Amino acid sequence: MNNYQTTVGIEIHCELKTKSKMFSPSENGYTKDANQHINEVDFAYPGVLPTINENAVRLALRAALLLNCRINKTMYFDRKNYFYPDLPKGYQITQARTPIGVDGYLEIEVGEETKKIGIHDIHIEEDTAKSIHHQQRTLLDFNRCGVPLIEIVSEPDIHTKEEAVAYVHKLKELFFYADISDCKIEEGSMRCDVNVSVSKDETLGTRTETKNVGSISSVGEVVEVEAQRQIEELTSGNKIYEETRRYDEAARKTVLMRRKETGNDYRYFPDGDFPPLVLTDEFIDSTKKSLPVMPDERRKVYQEYGISEINIEKIIANKPVSDYLLTLENTNLKIASNLLLGDIAAYLNKTNQTIEQTCFTKEKLKQVVQKLETNEISHNTFKEILTALFEKEESVDAIIQKYASSTISEEDLFSIVNQVIDENPNSVQDYKDGKDRAIKYLMGQIMKATKGSADPAKANRLLTEELQKR
Amino acid sequence: MTNYLLKSIPEIHELLKKREIKPIDLVEEAFQRIEQHPEWNAFITLNREEARKQAIDLEQEEVDNLLFAIPIAIKDNICTKNLRTTCASRMLENFVPIYDAEVIQKIRAKHMIIIGKTNMDEFAMGSSSRTSYFGAPRNPWDSQKIAGGSSGGSAASVAGRLVPFALGSDTGGSIRQPAAYTGIVGMKPTYGRISRYGLVAFASSLDQIGPMSRNVYENALLLNSLVGYDSKDLTSAQREEEDFTRWIGKEIRGMKIAIPRYFVSEIVDPEIVKQQENVKKILEDAGAVVEYIDIQHLEQAVTLYQIIAMGEASSNLARFDGVRYGYSAPNCKDANELYKKTRQEGFGVEVKRRIMVGSYILSGENAKIYYDKALKIRQEMQESFEQHFQNYDLIIGPTTTTTAYSIDSPMDDVHKNFMDDIFVIPVNMAGLPALSLPMGFSKDHLPIGLHIIGNHFEEAKIYQLAAFLEKELDLDLEGEKVHE
Repeated sequence: MNNYQTTVGIEIHCELKTKSKMFSPSENGYTKDANQHINEVDFAYPGVLPTINENAVRLALRAALLLNCRINKTMYFDRKNYFYPDLPKGYQITQARTPIGVDGYLEIEVGEETKKIGIHDIHIEEDTAKSIHHQQRTLLDFNRCGVPLIEIVSEPDIHTKEEAVAYVHKLKELFFYADISDCKIEEGSMRCDVNVSVSKDETLGTRTETKNVGSISSVGEVVEVEAQRQIEELTSGNKIYEETRRYDEAARKTVLMRRKETGNDYRYFPDGDFPPLVLTDEFIDSTKKSLPVMPDERRKVYQEYGISEINIEKIIANKPVSDYLLTLENTNLKIASNLLLGDIAAYLNKTNQTIEQTCFTKEKLKQVVQKLETNEISHNTFKEILTALFEKEESVDAIIQKYASSTISEEDLFSIVNQVIDENPNSVQDYKDGKDRAIKYLMGQIMKATKGSADPAKANRLLTEELQKR
Repeated sequence: MTNYLLKSIPEIHELLKKREIKPIDLVEEAFQRIEQHPEWNAFITLNREEARKQAIDLEQEEVDNLLFAIPIAIKDNICTKNLRTTCASRMLENFVPIYDAEVIQKIRAKHMIIIGKTNMDEFAMGSSSRTSYFGAPRNPWDSQKIAGGSSGGSAASVAGRLVPFALGSDTGGSIRQPAAYTGIVGMKPTYGRISRYGLVAFASSLDQIGPMSRNVYENALLLNSLVGYDSKDLTSAQREEEDFTRWIGKEIRGMKIAIPRYFVSEIVDPEIVKQQENVKKILEDAGAVVEYIDIQHLEQAVTLYQIIAMGEASSNLARFDGVRYGYSAPNCKDANELYKKTRQEGFGVEVKRRIMVGSYILSGENAKIYYDKALKIRQEMQESFEQHFQNYDLIIGPTTTTTAYSIDSPMDDVHKNFMDDIFVIPVNMAGLPALSLPMGFSKDHLPIGLHIIGNHFEEAKIYQLAAFLEKELDLDLEGEKVHE
């Protein structure tokens, strides 16, 4: 039973994150009520014609570039003809002849190894309406009808459960970071069809297609249980049929939906409503330039700051935090990310806000990180002033003064002041020469030595007194 | 009855401007004329209330352009908001669009008055308008003859002087052939000149809307108002604005004109060839050069049309499924039965035949064997035209091989029916502009059309030649048969 090799190809449909639909100006977005985001084009009214959503083309191009595809600079659109109530035109507009990207690959990491999974093609198409079965009737919601989709067809280069999971995970991460798609598998904005076959030799076995697998971990399970099922069928002398299956997560098994008829005939042909769409070099270049910093690049930066692998993955999994870190210049990202993932996240969660909605500005965060880094304040002090940082518009120093409990005794402060004066004879000289900055500097040293727990007014008074004694 | 609608457009314009007549006078006259000739069956739906209301409203407006308050008839496959648009099919018998076609918006912007929707072949599929669910329109020159098709109702309404203007659509000659049969001027502009948004699609890569009128000048005048880029139609062309009447009246000395030999071969009625020779002589006398040429694949035009137009049609008509609009078969137990019954009962014979042929042509390997090959030949035909336009200004020939035939002639010889359109189809295949101009009459006094084909976007040159010939030929196109 072990001498069977499993081969997997994965087809992924992603809804693109655009304002409007692929071929009509109506809105692309969530709405509670059915049939709100529709117009005569989505409804396939007699006489209507498609237009092209340029932004959708740009997002599809991003995907093709990220997947290292060769770009078809002159693209055509084709019609895929079939009758179904959720397909109002009686055909779907797709790219059968000239997919936007072909012959690409995606690098995945499995264990210690890096592996290239081939991308056969990536093409643009449109989503269908939704059929809702209600009692004896079928209701139709056209909100989703015409939503821009890309379909990514992998080569059958995947052979294990781990590879399948890594592939989908990596692709999702890329598309999410490139703002191509929400990539919400559970909500259907990313849909995975898993093709599995098993074989004892080089030739590929008959494959089955398990449609609409509901989560990334389920993709892995499908690979495992479907390969297992096929091997069992074959070893009991049965045949594998080309069929469409679905995954029953509770039962952990795939279930037959329908056997594929031979010659499923979609009567593909060029759509006369579209002249050839030419992607200019300028368009391709500007799309390349508009790509945000991708996860692997971010990982490298985090590694340089000495952030742990576990935390790096936590940050990558939390794009808002990762994006926030991108905007912090000259800041210790290890400390910043600890704050953002820890206390700050907890506060924001509790109060159900985003950091932008609070008084804790980027500048304040940078100051706090710096003070922590130079030990000017302790992490305990940070915790004490946290709520104030969010809720008060005052400066960080003022907040520390007001809200950090001063634990240092007058006696200790006295000796620290004298210690700082002893250690900085030059500043004492400067003070005597009437240079004001000396006081500032020495105060900084005192605050640092007391980790911000001294009352600055008191410290200032002591310092002046002691300096005058010298 | 008044006779304002027999006057030229500039004359009517003057009367309106001087307030000697009101828009309502034109509207009432149009409806009276239509009522006088129910036998022509030119209209499927009349826009009585709205047209009258619009005419009254226009009394408050300034008479700001030549087309102001001029009645126009619209082929019933062009969507008109709140005005029934049937495509002459049971499928859309009660279909009232929620939007205006782009071209209708342009007509409304000129304050033209839509009188009604004209009869046609069902979904524009046919050459004699006899596939209409509402019965065939008749030829005003002889009501026992067809008006041609598919824009037969539009042609009859202008030929019978019910209205001065009509819009038609032309997928394989559907403006020019009926124009020829009824003695009017019909122009199919360059593919992309006029937005197709709102024209119920038959064959997307061939369909084009165009003006039908009593004379050349008025045709060019109406075209001026119909053209322009439309962001809602990706195939519409971005061109600089031009006046299509600008070369009307200009002499044609030195013009180089070609006649494809196939257009005057033995397949053409000798009476028509004779008229064609007369035109050739007039042109040569005026100092034009007329030469014979050969264009590749002309004789295959009908076959190409069957493959490309029907393939596209089979897909374009898939949306009529009884789910969202139009006819919906009652009491169906599931979606499949609904599709089958709706389409079985909603479509006529010719439409179903074409959907079946088209589906067959696109099925499996056939797509490569037929469709891809047809596209290749179409490309070669277009290149052949383009080559000749490097040497010639215009290409001419007869519009049709015969004059309008009997309304009772058999319809079952499918290939013969398509032969009506053998000269007009290549123009759609190549996306070129072409016009049919009355060039004479047969012995039994039926009109004969001259076909003038131009290079892409050279409609103005076509009008120049057409206007010259119109003047030289000086035919009586109103005739007793139109106005007894």
